[in-house]
Amino acid sequence: MNAVRKKEWLCPRNVVAGLAAGAMLAVAGAASAGVIKIGASLRMKTETGEKYGQMVVDELSAINAAGGVNGHTIEIKLLNDECKSDIGVANATKYAYQDNVHLFVGSTCSSVSLPIVDVIHKAGVPMLIPHSTNYKITLKGSPWVFRVPISSRFSAAAAAKYTAENIGTKIAYIWASDAASQADAQKFYEYIRNFHGEGPLYAEQFQEGELDLRPHLLKIKALQPEALMISAQSQDFARGLVQSYEVGIPPSVKRIGGSAASNRPAPILAGDAIKGVFFHAAFSYVDPDPNAQAFVKMTTERYGVPTPDHDFSQAWDLVQIAKRALERANLTLSDDSLAADRAAIRDALATIQGYKTLGGGVVDFCADATPECRDGNKTPVLIEYTKGGEDYELRVIGKTTFGADFGLDGMQEEAAALRKSLDN
Amino acid sequence: MDLLLDFIIVGLSIGIVYGLVALGISLIFSGLDIVHFAHGEVYMIGAFLGIAIVSISGVPYFGALVGAMIVTGAVGVVIERVFYRRLTRGGGGYTVAGMGMIICGFGMSVALQNVAYLIWGAAPHPYPVSFGMPIFLGNIALPKSYLYILVSALVLMAVLHTFLTRTKLGLAVRAVAYNKDTSYLMGVNVPAMISLIFGVACAMAAVAGVLIGPINYVQIEMGYLMLLKAFAAAVVGGFGSLPGALLGGVVVGLFETLCAGYLIASYKDIYAFLLLITVLMVRPTGLLGIIVKVKA
Amino acid sequence: MAEQAASLRFIDATERGLTRLRAVHPLAPWLVAFLLLAPLPWVLLNTYHVFLANFICVMILLSVGLNIVKGFCGQVTVGHVGLYAIGAYTAAVMSVNFGMTFWMSLPIAVMVTLLAGAVVGIPSFRLEGAYLALVTLGLGESVRIFISATEYLGATNGFSGIPAPRIGDFRFDTYQKYYYLVMPVMLLGVFFSFRILRSRLGRGFMAVREDPVAAAAAGVNVRGHKMIAFLISAGYAGFAGALYAHMIPGYLNPRNFTVIEMVTLLLMVVLGGLGHIWGGVIGAIIVTIVYDITKDYYHYSLLLFGSVIVLTVLFMPKGIGGIIDRFIATRRFIAIREGRATRPGSDDAA
Repeated sequence: MNAVRKKEWLCPRNVVAGLAAGAMLAVAGAASAGVIKIGASLRMKTETGEKYGQMVVDELSAINAAGGVNGHTIEIKLLNDECKSDIGVANATKYAYQDNVHLFVGSTCSSVSLPIVDVIHKAGVPMLIPHSTNYKITLKGSPWVFRVPISSRFSAAAAAKYTAENIGTKIAYIWASDAASQADAQKFYEYIRNFHGEGPLYAEQFQEGELDLRPHLLKIKALQPEALMISAQSQDFARGLVQSYEVGIPPSVKRIGGSAASNRPAPILAGDAIKGVFFHAAFSYVDPDPNAQAFVKMTTERYGVPTPDHDFSQAWDLVQIAKRALERANLTLSDDSLAADRAAIRDALATIQGYKTLGGGVVDFCADATPECRDGNKTPVLIEYTKGGEDYELRVIGKTTFGADFGLDGMQEEAAALRKSLDN
Repeated sequence: MDLLLDFIIVGLSIGIVYGLVALGISLIFSGLDIVHFAHGEVYMIGAFLGIAIVSISGVPYFGALVGAMIVTGAVGVVIERVFYRRLTRGGGGYTVAGMGMIICGFGMSVALQNVAYLIWGAAPHPYPVSFGMPIFLGNIALPKSYLYILVSALVLMAVLHTFLTRTKLGLAVRAVAYNKDTSYLMGVNVPAMISLIFGVACAMAAVAGVLIGPINYVQIEMGYLMLLKAFAAAVVGGFGSLPGALLGGVVVGLFETLCAGYLIASYKDIYAFLLLITVLMVRPTGLLGIIVKVKA
Repeated sequence: MAEQAASLRFIDATERGLTRLRAVHPLAPWLVAFLLLAPLPWVLLNTYHVFLANFICVMILLSVGLNIVKGFCGQVTVGHVGLYAIGAYTAAVMSVNFGMTFWMSLPIAVMVTLLAGAVVGIPSFRLEGAYLALVTLGLGESVRIFISATEYLGATNGFSGIPAPRIGDFRFDTYQKYYYLVMPVMLLGVFFSFRILRSRLGRGFMAVREDPVAAAAAGVNVRGHKMIAFLISAGYAGFAGALYAHMIPGYLNPRNFTVIEMVTLLLMVVLGGLGHIWGGVIGAIIVTIVYDITKDYYHYSLLLFGSVIVLTVLFMPKGIGGIIDRFIATRRFIAIREGRATRPGSDDAA
């Protein structure tokens, strides 16, 4: 019986099938040459995450439909990292070594982007960041990293400058337990401390989703600040605002938000409590600039979003920048040219200059692996809520453009330590 | 002194919130000898159902409350019959069924969270109701919801107490809680009682969800965050005692608020957990619990 | 019929092979396993798979440890992720802030985690079941919240810059090289778990799990066994944590140690077989691979995990390990029954 069974599986029919399968695989492998592969890792399971992820895919499909980039088609894959660094690192590793992408896009959360820098640095894949604002990401000094959004060293400084000049310097801070919110608050009070010599009145963290911020707020009320910064994602931010009024912090104390304050749920959840609150962002949908308004019209019609926030606009900017770079890059796109193609895209990205984002800030990249060269947008927009609730309203207070090296004094030590860890 | 009073008011108010959620947990434990780790997700589903019903025009808030109670209670009964039947019948304890129930609870909680995500999405939702001016206690403006929560918790406690002690059905429930096998022998329809207890507890979770929704936005992750605090409340007050659940909630709320007020506020949740652990180590019966159920 | 006979022959052949290997030397099967696993980085298709293999080894260590205290000793602990975090952060702090090498930070991390394990073990003397679950859950969450609110540990920005281990000038700075660090540790971990669980100590654990009162009456030091079980599992978690911390990219974040990770770990142990000697290994491998395959379907991943846990508890309480055991036992049973009729002179060794 044994002898019969052995011959059975090695019979001619099976051998031919095996060879055919192998041939098909080989052909499939060859067919993927000539395609630009982009891998994206974002926080997808949020309301806007899905929509702007869809927008990125749609834009790239449109490019493909119009003939692609220099005749090459673009293929993008989206994965969710849920703002968790181990998932993000796994995604980036998968893209770099299994899917062999030419360009990596990610991530939404700073705490995920930080370790991914090490991964793409080692693998040699260009990284185009859509949303992470923590200043350390570019301070690490990898030549593969390009940041489109506004680094926290600019945005928080703009808000801090405005506050110090118009409101005062006695400020209390509470922030949620995520890296972006923490960095916004930190850079804000560092600015006040460095330029006005006054430390924070109160600086504490709370867990994301915390139901009761009133203990913090009661302590803050006793300190009688001139302003209160609540740096958190929209839900916690709204709750903090509402509870700040509940505990009796007077309306004269100006409330300030971090960049996440621009996200759509915030004013709807906070209602009246958000009136008069200002924050910094890269874009505002009430910006009268014609480009901004055209974008708003597009998102309303295509995705049913009449009030896009800067997550949306920065995703758009990223696609445009990627498109320009891909057009400039000299790509071979064969199986052997992976490293060369990746380097070509990196070098092409480094030549992007003078790209005007939807928010008005201009993105200039250059070749040096420094924050001066790789932090693209340097123009935070200061925005104030004039009305809360379902039909909320905003107005643009002003825009400040910073020099490329702003906020980097005294960072040399930290930069050196980060650089060293990159080569670990 | 003024600040201390403020802290106390705040602590009491959040404590009542924890206590309301803890009522359902305590009921399940006293009736079925199990701890249901997916209770937070039931609470969350109740809150979402409440929003859905309130959004139907013309339905008053109270009607949404009742509606959410009924639907969530029904969902709870379905889950119990389909999934937990084998485990609840075996009772808790250090049996495989006991540990199985705990593990199953974790699995169910994660699965329910995903189901809620697929139905309602990840965005936080406000409650489309408005209760007018808040109540002013000292310097604090407490939204009226806290009052409704307190009243509802007391009403629920009274209703359940009457039900359990004065009605025949309640007697059957208590018999099942005491000893399932003997109750079987006495002719009690034990499976039906188990489903009833579970359904009522889930309905109570829905009440909590609908009442807490207006002061705390409704979002799929709200269950997990509330669950641990509610467990602490149930433990401190004494597992299985309904007044204990409320009392425990108040104690936990006060303790964590005062510690946050006078110590490092960033560690607020840790204080609540430390209280939970200390009570379990020192006096597992809690404040008002009667029997130490060594079994799970 | 034919394939039943074939599978039984396969099982018997494996048994005979193992017996012969053990006759050569008790450790021979493990050496063979090492030799089989050693060329894995060259066999796998790309570096990402090697990354997965490294991650699986770390998860195996965690699951095996958890299985010892939970599956074999029956203590309901759901804070294991906290011990993992303590191991990882201790190794991180030792190597970055105190400049120690990996070879120093690892033992210190394990020792600190052992201490923490003792702290987790003490409540188990008084509490059981859901009460113990609540305490361990509270402890695990407290660890995470403490880390996320403490600047020294990096808080929410995370702790970065953990260096790769080095021997002289040689650095374990690629996934391929790191594999040869984690794989032997994993193999040793599994080996020791087998030794422990098949020894008197292991039987003591199982006695405590089944009926502590009867065990005490039979002379088993119940408290001692519980504490030892917790300590052993903490040791495994310490090793796993330190290895994870030093792995590329050398970054830790408190969001990696939440209840969701705990549920994933629980899934590994339950699916592999709670109380089955191979449970941790099987579960870690299957869950990690399935998670990777279903990455594109992230909308449904939690639903999948939760459902598998619920269904496994209800219908497969002994997990996949239990299914394999039953399969082997059924085949043998069938063979015995037929052996009497068709195979005269065969040894009734089954």
